[in-house]
Amino acid sequence: MEKKLIGKRIPRNEDPRLLTGQAQFVDDVNLPGMLHAAFLRSEYAHARLVSLDVSKARQHPGVVAVYTAEDMGKDWFPGPPLVSPPPTVEDVVFHSRRQVPLVKDKIRHAGEAVAVVIAENRYIAEDAAELIEVEYESLPVIMNIEKALEADSPLVHDDLDSNLAAQLSQKKGDYEAALKEADVVIRRRIVIERGAAAAMENRGVIAQWDAKGEALTVWDTTQAPIPIRNGLAARLGLSESQVRVIAPYIGGGFGPKIMMFYPEEMLIPWLAMKLNRPIKWIEDRRENFYATTQERGQVHDVEIALTRDGKVLGLKDNFLHDTGAYDPYGLTIPINTQCHVMGGYDIKNFTSEFKVVFTNKIIVTPVRGAGRPQGIFIIERMMDFAAKELGIDPVEIRKRNLIQPNAFPYEHGIIDQAFAPLILDSGNYPAVLQKTLDAIGYEKFIKEEQPRLRKEGKYVGIGVVPFIETTGIGPYEGARVTVEASGKVNVATGIGTQGQGHFTSFAQIVAEQIGVKVTDVRIVTGDTSEFHWGTGTFASRGAVVAGSAIHAASSMVRKKIFTLASKILETPEEELELEDGAVRVADMPQRFISLGELALLANPLRGAVEPGTEPGLESTAYYGPRYGPTAFGAHAMILELDPDTMMVKVRRYVVTEDCGTVLNPLILEGQVHGGVSMGLGNSYYEQLHYDENGQLLNASFADYLLVGATEMPNIEVHHVETLSPLNELGVKGAGEAGAIPVPAVFAQAVENALSDREFEINEMPLSPNRLFELVKS
Amino acid sequence: MKIEGEYTFDGPREAVWKLVRDPEVLMKCLPGTQTVNQVSDTEFTGEITVRIGPFSGAFAGRVIVSDEVPPQSCTLTVEGTGKIGFLKGVGSIAMTELEDQKTLMKYTGEAQIGGKVASVGQRLFDSVSKSMVKQGLDTLNEILKSNNA
Repeated sequence: MEKKLIGKRIPRNEDPRLLTGQAQFVDDVNLPGMLHAAFLRSEYAHARLVSLDVSKARQHPGVVAVYTAEDMGKDWFPGPPLVSPPPTVEDVVFHSRRQVPLVKDKIRHAGEAVAVVIAENRYIAEDAAELIEVEYESLPVIMNIEKALEADSPLVHDDLDSNLAAQLSQKKGDYEAALKEADVVIRRRIVIERGAAAAMENRGVIAQWDAKGEALTVWDTTQAPIPIRNGLAARLGLSESQVRVIAPYIGGGFGPKIMMFYPEEMLIPWLAMKLNRPIKWIEDRRENFYATTQERGQVHDVEIALTRDGKVLGLKDNFLHDTGAYDPYGLTIPINTQCHVMGGYDIKNFTSEFKVVFTNKIIVTPVRGAGRPQGIFIIERMMDFAAKELGIDPVEIRKRNLIQPNAFPYEHGIIDQAFAPLILDSGNYPAVLQKTLDAIGYEKFIKEEQPRLRKEGKYVGIGVVPFIETTGIGPYEGARVTVEASGKVNVATGIGTQGQGHFTSFAQIVAEQIGVKVTDVRIVTGDTSEFHWGTGTFASRGAVVAGSAIHAASSMVRKKIFTLASKILETPEEELELEDGAVRVADMPQRFISLGELALLANPLRGAVEPGTEPGLESTAYYGPRYGPTAFGAHAMILELDPDTMMVKVRRYVVTEDCGTVLNPLILEGQVHGGVSMGLGNSYYEQLHYDENGQLLNASFADYLLVGATEMPNIEVHHVETLSPLNELGVKGAGEAGAIPVPAVFAQAVENALSDREFEINEMPLSPNRLFELVKS
Repeated sequence: MKIEGEYTFDGPREAVWKLVRDPEVLMKCLPGTQTVNQVSDTEFTGEITVRIGPFSGAFAGRVIVSDEVPPQSCTLTVEGTGKIGFLKGVGSIAMTELEDQKTLMKYTGEAQIGGKVASVGQRLFDSVSKSMVKQGLDTLNEILKSNNA
């Protein structure tokens, strides 16, 4: 079937509502009698809670209640583990330590909630929180992940023998043998530091308990409403059908809004039931820095073995991963790093061991990229160092090692974040790289422009980096597609939406099958009362997994439409056409029935629905992949650098993305643009600075530098479409892609621009000052 | 965070030392000081209001003087907590006599800050603390000069 809508540059269905302020966000929900919550958070990163006196706060006018861990009684217990522990991989270590609703005995990171105040408004709640008297006994703070593993280090969790949270080794081939054969072995230590997700909308939770209806409704800025619903029901002793979680429009997720079971997510619904009043809590920006999860901190000791002509024989990468105070998200991030540290290269021998380390920092869970940027940064840096050492062009050494198009499916023989085998399903890696090189004019730049500009005294550099992105993992998603009597289509799916354009790309998938206008498809996401099976929006899986479920349900509805229309129009199905909201007899266009009429006939008020059939033009379908498709791409940038100030201007930025079938290039490009801006932040602007006592020193947008419009280059996006064989649509995910290779491209381009200086970039993020230090030292 | 510097007083060391050890004088010298109570010969408690960027708030604190070698040197241990954060620090001062009845004070210290002061105010904390120290020492020097006059 030739595609009429999939792949078209269709403006987004949701934009009129978003642009005119009509989209409902959590903070837009205001309920009669609603109370407001404010949290008292620890100023210490590591301390024993000696005493807590809330009496003054309780007496403060307008305060309804103040709760501490003690006040919660038997309802105080940690959040659930979010990702199942790893399977019995040999010698795996995993100590699950989860965040608690309120601290009972020991504070493990600055910003941990100690008490919650419920008051008539937020002002009163915050004032009263300041009246709470807390006595802390400060403890030595564990900040450095290497020192944290030393035998005499203080412990984040006193019941453990060390600060080791987890440990996992994966191997492929025989690295030691590869090492013996190698002509060159390059070793480096590479350090990557933390950044914030910094979604435009902070988190928020509103809960309403209907005592008479015995029903709990929760509005939550979550990426995964169904797991939150299930967890809340279990936590509160309710049936899942008594709990409705709504994740309305959300102003950016980027990972930290996944089913975290944040303390606020556990507490606000519990309090709403306890007090029988609706309660609202909206995170402020400073809280977002202190109470919302972060990512990226790792220290790698990496070794690459090559032949003289630049063929990689083997790679060894042992690294430490900072998980912060707790590890609710299991091993997702470091396994992702492990799965990306071979990049898109055919590396036969590999060994990697990681250790996950508890520290007194804010909890780490995935942030857009989720361990992948680290892996790509490591391998791409090593490729650059190898190219330099062997005197090979950096692009050439990559071409010599890329996985070739005939090698798919390419089995790595290690497991991925979903504990499924890491199999790269399909791709044409050399074509993507070549398209990028052509678009940026690599040869011409190196041979003509750079020497010319250098003569003019300009420091310009180029970077080109290919990367993989594992996407679209299971377990599954589902969708229900209904043609209504209006002739319009209603679709419900369980995932949440945070700006990905689901209301359009999903509508295109449906409209393609059902022959209606894209604007006549209404998509409902993130409401457990509309669809209550599923997982959530993360791991670049929305289009792949939910999209495939929607495609499957739409195909089933299409069949129902043809079956019924065939009967009514007394014409064989193969002679019917479904288009423009009606079914026609192919050679008699005046003989047709509209979808609305058909929907009415499928749901009759009289007569009998035939046994074995279902009423309505409706189907529900699920899609669960055995393993996820792996997208591929390449980024190239040309930057100009002022060697006196180290200020950088990105002159050109080219992206080629192969995420299989492109559902909507407009939306895909938007995703890529957003990702690149985060990636640039991770390269040169955004870094969370903690002092040695666990105090976050730049917890405001005055000090934490987001990439602004003036730093953003124009981004050229190109596409290659290698369809995934794993799903009918042929799609692969793209949500995180934009962010993944940027630090690696940036480092290469900076070194290229300053090729007359002796220095090496072995860390991220950089900043003008840090680069200045590196170059001058 | 390190606090370090030196200051030349227009007076003899004995006179400077006496002023430094006088809580009444200290209260005048440290901008924003509300109260100073002498708990013992070497321990003082008090309250000070500090403005750092967008925040201002009262800190309740304690200063302990130790390793005293009059009129030469001593160690100060400071602890303060308030609505906008906490501060802990250890510092030492050392004074040497210069010619012309002048005294050179060298001070050095390590401060640890937490809470809002750290997360939002740290960029300003350095300059605020420096200006507070300078203002304090200037006032002390003025008192010294007027006493000598």
